[in-house]
Amino acid sequence: MKNSEKTLSKKPKKWIVNLVFGIALILALFFSFQGSTINLLRWSTFGYAIKAMLKGFTEINLEFLFGYGSRQFVEGIVYMAIQTLAIAFIGTFIGAILALSFSFLASERIVGKRISKIGITLITIIRVFPEVILALMLVKAVGLNPLTCVIAIGIHSIGMLGKMFSESIDNMDIGPIEALNAVGANTWQKIRFGIIPQVIPELTSTALYRFDINIRSASVLGVLGTSAGGFGALLLLASADPNNQWDTIASLLIVIVVLVLIVDNISAYLRKKLV
Amino acid sequence: MNKFQISNGKTINKPFNKIWVVLAILVVLTIIFWQFITYDSSMIDLSQLFVIVKQMFTPKNTNLTHRTWADYFAFMLELRYPLWITIQMSIGGTIIGSLFAVPFAIFAARNIFKNKYINAPFRFVMNLIRTIPIILLAIIAMAMVGAGVLPGIIAFTIFSFGIMSKMLYEVIETVDMNPFEALESTGANKLQAFSYSIVPQIFLPFVSYLLYIFELNIRASAVLGFVGINGIGEVISVNRLYNYDRVGAAVIVLFILIFALQLINSRIRGKLQ
Repeated sequence: MKNSEKTLSKKPKKWIVNLVFGIALILALFFSFQGSTINLLRWSTFGYAIKAMLKGFTEINLEFLFGYGSRQFVEGIVYMAIQTLAIAFIGTFIGAILALSFSFLASERIVGKRISKIGITLITIIRVFPEVILALMLVKAVGLNPLTCVIAIGIHSIGMLGKMFSESIDNMDIGPIEALNAVGANTWQKIRFGIIPQVIPELTSTALYRFDINIRSASVLGVLGTSAGGFGALLLLASADPNNQWDTIASLLIVIVVLVLIVDNISAYLRKKLV
Repeated sequence: MNKFQISNGKTINKPFNKIWVVLAILVVLTIIFWQFITYDSSMIDLSQLFVIVKQMFTPKNTNLTHRTWADYFAFMLELRYPLWITIQMSIGGTIIGSLFAVPFAIFAARNIFKNKYINAPFRFVMNLIRTIPIILLAIIAMAMVGAGVLPGIIAFTIFSFGIMSKMLYEVIETVDMNPFEALESTGANKLQAFSYSIVPQIFLPFVSYLLYIFELNIRASAVLGFVGINGIGEVISVNRLYNYDRVGAAVIVLFILIFALQLINSRIRGKLQ
């Protein structure tokens, strides 16, 4: 046997791993399609739905979209988009303020190792609850209105923001504070010139990223009820009878895609400028 | 206050601090946006929050319905059927969507296809799909194929595709390219070079992302119940008006599942580093 063949025969037997992984994937796929009843009837509705969809997509009701003519501006989809933006913005704002206080609780440098573990656990628990469930609990106390969505989004944002904030506080450079100590600065000056300039860019960047995510959840949270703000009323209308509401779905799709793309690009631009 | 005289006679102008502009913009935006947050302040009653928490996590006991703790736990056990459906849909969506995402991510990565005109269209499609909320995907899928498990799988597939393709091309762009170039210089084509140099590097992140997306899907299923997709979300949305204890049971089950997934995923990520 040649030397090169010997080396080749020592090649690790990767195909076993690949085989096991592949079989597991295929089994999982089979399992997932159980009871999904794919049959001819389904395919026939599929064709019909595509036809209805194409028809609906070409017949978008512009008066409904922009809220003019026979409809008031408040009834239009563009108004709902602005409301969604408002919910996400104020939700993120509240979330950032709340998260800042939680992040102090979770930062090792400020409260020590033992208490920080409690803080981290608390933040993790908050993060696990989906927004819808938080909103559902708030509906009784606050009512079915955009404020509920704002508070739910604010509380849910604590999970991610608090974790990131506490990490950036822990990674802070202690040098500037020592320098301020040396020149005899008081506590407020130390915070103002030693801590804030260091952490602000990172905190804003994180909050902007969260704003991206919150725009998506704010556009969904309206499903709680017709008066919950955002696109909720339309989503419920569309889900009740989708095949007759293709024009609504199409205009919703356009508005949401445009809204999210704009917010994504603005926040990406700002984040690039910050860091 | 804006001019300082130093001992050597020079004057220094204090630079204008931009943070005040930013703060002013923030305040103005908050005030403007606050006008869109309509609410009825007479309806706000925060003490109801404790009432509802109590109603959620204790069995319902009124004049008409008497449920005991045994009923509460029995219902929790019964939740395994909708939970099964949710897991089933999430697994299917995660796997199919992630597999579809792999070629897209490769074509969108700048270090493998260096031509901008190849990257751009793939990135555009990915960004476009990522902007559509999963609930709209679910509504469209339900209109297309009717109710059941299938629309859930379709919605989760497209949702997973959007997230996975973005995370995957970002991780592909950060890999070490030297092995790839070495293989190419020995005469391997792009596919061979990719599978022997880059796949080993991105395999573990890929698995970690799979779990993360699976968790996201489970989380999203809570919202999908409101538009009529089967599963645990349906239980929550059906009982949300009168049977808070059932909602609470579903929430506990969902909480345990998501928490466990997060724990597993953080273990895997710890192994990665």
